[in-house]
Amino acid sequence: MDFDLSSEQLMFKEQVLKFARKELAPRAQESDLKGEFDFEAWRRLGEFGILGLHFPAELGGSEADVMTSVLAAEALGEAGVDAGLLLAYGAHTFLCADTIYVHGTPAQKQKYVPKLASGEWIGCMGLTEPDAGSDVAAMNTRAVKRDGQWVLNGNKIFITNGGIADVAVIYAKTDPSAGHAGISAFIVEKGTPGFSVGQSWHKLGVRSSVTSELIFEDCAVPEENLLGNEGHGFLMAMQTVEWDRSTLVAPLVGVFQFLLARSARYALERKQFGRPIAQFQAVRHKIADLKIFYEAARSLVYRIAWCKDQGKPLNHLEAAVTKLFVGDWSLEPSNAALTLHGGNGFCHEYDVERVFRDVRLAAIGGGTSEIQKLIISRML
Amino acid sequence: MNFEWTPEQLVVRKKVEAVFAGAAPEFDALEQADAGAIQATVRKALRLLAETGYLELAQGEAAQLPMLIAAQEVVAQASSSLFLAVETTARLFGGLLAQAAPAWADELLAPLRRGELIAGVALSESESKEAPGPQTIATAVDGGFTINGRKSFVTNAPIADVLAVTVGLDEQPAVAIINARDAGVTIGPRLKTLGYQGLTVSALTLEDVRVPANRFIGPLPDGKLADKLLLTEALVLTQASVGLAQQLYKTAVSHAKRHRRGGRAIIKYQEVGFKLAEILTQVQSAQLLGYRAGWLAARGDAEAATVMHCAKVFASETAEQVAAKAMQILAGEGYLWGNRVERGFRDAKYAALAGLSSEQARMTVADNILTLYRV
Repeated sequence: MDFDLSSEQLMFKEQVLKFARKELAPRAQESDLKGEFDFEAWRRLGEFGILGLHFPAELGGSEADVMTSVLAAEALGEAGVDAGLLLAYGAHTFLCADTIYVHGTPAQKQKYVPKLASGEWIGCMGLTEPDAGSDVAAMNTRAVKRDGQWVLNGNKIFITNGGIADVAVIYAKTDPSAGHAGISAFIVEKGTPGFSVGQSWHKLGVRSSVTSELIFEDCAVPEENLLGNEGHGFLMAMQTVEWDRSTLVAPLVGVFQFLLARSARYALERKQFGRPIAQFQAVRHKIADLKIFYEAARSLVYRIAWCKDQGKPLNHLEAAVTKLFVGDWSLEPSNAALTLHGGNGFCHEYDVERVFRDVRLAAIGGGTSEIQKLIISRML
Repeated sequence: MNFEWTPEQLVVRKKVEAVFAGAAPEFDALEQADAGAIQATVRKALRLLAETGYLELAQGEAAQLPMLIAAQEVVAQASSSLFLAVETTARLFGGLLAQAAPAWADELLAPLRRGELIAGVALSESESKEAPGPQTIATAVDGGFTINGRKSFVTNAPIADVLAVTVGLDEQPAVAIINARDAGVTIGPRLKTLGYQGLTVSALTLEDVRVPANRFIGPLPDGKLADKLLLTEALVLTQASVGLAQQLYKTAVSHAKRHRRGGRAIIKYQEVGFKLAEILTQVQSAQLLGYRAGWLAARGDAEAATVMHCAKVFASETAEQVAAKAMQILAGEGYLWGNRVERGFRDAKYAALAGLSSEQARMTVADNILTLYRV
C-alpha cells in the first residue's frame, strides 16, 4: 500500500492550481450568476492543455496518465473554478473526445481529436432521453441505414454542452429487437441537416454549463460516421463510466479542499460574542467534518485512477462505491460549510453558496446514487 | 502509488490468517468467559502471533506501519475483544516502551515479542475539582519512586503481568512500569461493559507501590510520548472499527442471501440490497482512510496526526452506523443476545469514546487545520 505521487505529478498539480486560481477562478461567480457559458475560460483551459491532457502528442495531447488527469481535475476544484466549466470539460474530453479516441478509426481520430484537445471545437455526448435515463436500453432514438447513410430520428435531453457543441457522439438504436446489443454510436457535426438544438434548461447548480435538448429529424450522416462497431454502443457508453467515476468525480475532491480553506479562513475572521467563531466548538466540529470527508473521498478516487493506470479491468463495484460516497456523503459537509458562513453563506457574494448548489449534482449526474447502489447490491 | 499489499506484507498477513483459520468458535467463546479463561486464550493467541512476527511489528519502527495494518485487519476481524487485548499489550505497552527507549526496555520488549507477557496501560483517572492535573503521583525515594493513586478503565488489568501507569512527578508527566502482583497494587473487580465482553477491564489502585529507577520513564516535559500514545491508540481503534465493520458486513450479506421473504432472498429487495451497498461503501472508505493514515505516519508526514484522528473518527462512527444497518437487515435474528450482529452493535460504541473521543479528536483536527490558515 503506497499513496506516494511522483514529483512530476505533484509539480503539475501545483501548476494547474496556480493557473486556475489566476486565470479561471476569478471568473466563476459572474458566469454562474449569468448562467452563461464562459468561452474565454474555455479558451484558456484549451491553451493550458487541460482539455486533451491524456491524448497522444500527435493528436494534440500531453500523454498524461489517469492519475495526472485526476490531479489536474482536483486542482481545478481546489482553485474554486466554476463547476459548470468543469462539467463542460468532463463531458467534452471524456464523454466525447475520449470515446472518439478509443473507438474511432484513424481518420476519425485525426479529424476530431486534435480540434477537441485544443478546445477549438466543443464536444458533447447524447445518451439520455425523455424515457431513457439510467435504463439505457429503453432509448427510442433510431438510426436506419439508407442509401449509404445513417438516418437518425429522436430526441436527447439533459445534454451537457448540447447547445454549444461543434460535434456530438450520439447513441441510437440500430436494432431495436436486440436490447443493449442493438445500440450504436455516431458522430454528428453541428450544422448537419435535421440536427437541431431544442430547449436549454436552467439548473440549480453548474449553471454556466449549457444543458440542452438535441433533436434529430431525418438527420443523415455519412456511413463512415458510425463510431466503433455497429451494436457496440452500450459497451462504449459504459466505458465512459470509468472516467465518470475517476476524473469526472475528482473536481469534487478538490472542491472540498476549497470549502475547507474558505471555511477555516472565515471562521478565523468572523467575530461573534467578542471572539472569532473558530473558537466555538460547534464551528470547529464542522471544519473537522470537511477535512474527514475530503480525506476519505480522495483515497477512493485515487484508487480508481490507479486501477485504470495499471491497465486493470475496472472494478465496477469499487467505481460505484466511489461515486456513491462522493455523491451522498458530500451533502452533509457541503451543508456544514454553508451553515458555518451563516447569512453570508446564503448569499451569492460568498462562493460557498455557488459550490453548495454545484455539489448537489454529484449524487445525480453520471448515474444517480440509487443506480450506484443497484450496481453494488447486484455484485455482492 | 500502489493500492495492493506488497509480497512481504502479504506473507505476514497470510501467517496471521493461518493462526485464526478455524479458530472462530474458540474466540467467540471469549465473550462469555471468565477472566481466567480469557487470560489463557489471550496467552495462547500471543504465543501463536509471536511466531508470525506480528507482535514486534512497528515497535519503534514507523516504517512498518503499512505491514502492521495489513496484519491487524485479520486479527480485528477474527475477534474484536482479542484484538484489543493483543494490541494493548503489543502496541500500547510495547510501543510506549519502544518509543521511550530507556536502556532497560529490551528486558521487557524481548519477552513481549515472544508472546510471554500480557500488558496493560493505565491512563484514565478522575479529575479532582480541587487539584486539577494527574491524580496518580510519583514521589522520589532512595533508588526509585513510590506511586500512589487510582486509575479507572484499565484494559487487561485483571489478566496482565505488567502495567504501564502514567503518573505525575513534580507536576511533569512520567510513566511507571509495575508488576501486577507488586505490593500495594490492587486490581479492582472486573467491570461489566456494554460491549467487548471478552475484554477484561478494571480500576487500579496504587498504595505506596515501590518502582525501581530502572522501571521508570520520565519526567517527559515535551508531551511527545503522550502524543505518540494517542496516535497509536487511534490507529488501534481505527483498525478495531474497520475489522468490526467488516465482520458485520459479511454477516449481513450472508444473512441477506440466505434469508427468504416473499419467495426470494431478501438481498433482492432494494431496501435491503441498497443498505448493504451503503455498508460496503462505508467500510471501504474507512478502510482506505485508515491505510492512508498509516502510510502518512510511516513517512513521518506533517499531516499524519491530523489524518490519523480523521481516520479514527470516521472509522468508529462508520462501525456504529454499519452495526445499526446490519441489525436492521438481520431483524429479529440480529436482536438476539449472542448473535454476532447484536454483539457488534454493542461493541461498535466503544471506539468513538475510547482514546481521544470523537469530540476531542474533531477539536484536534480542527485546531490543526485552523493553524494552517491563521495569519
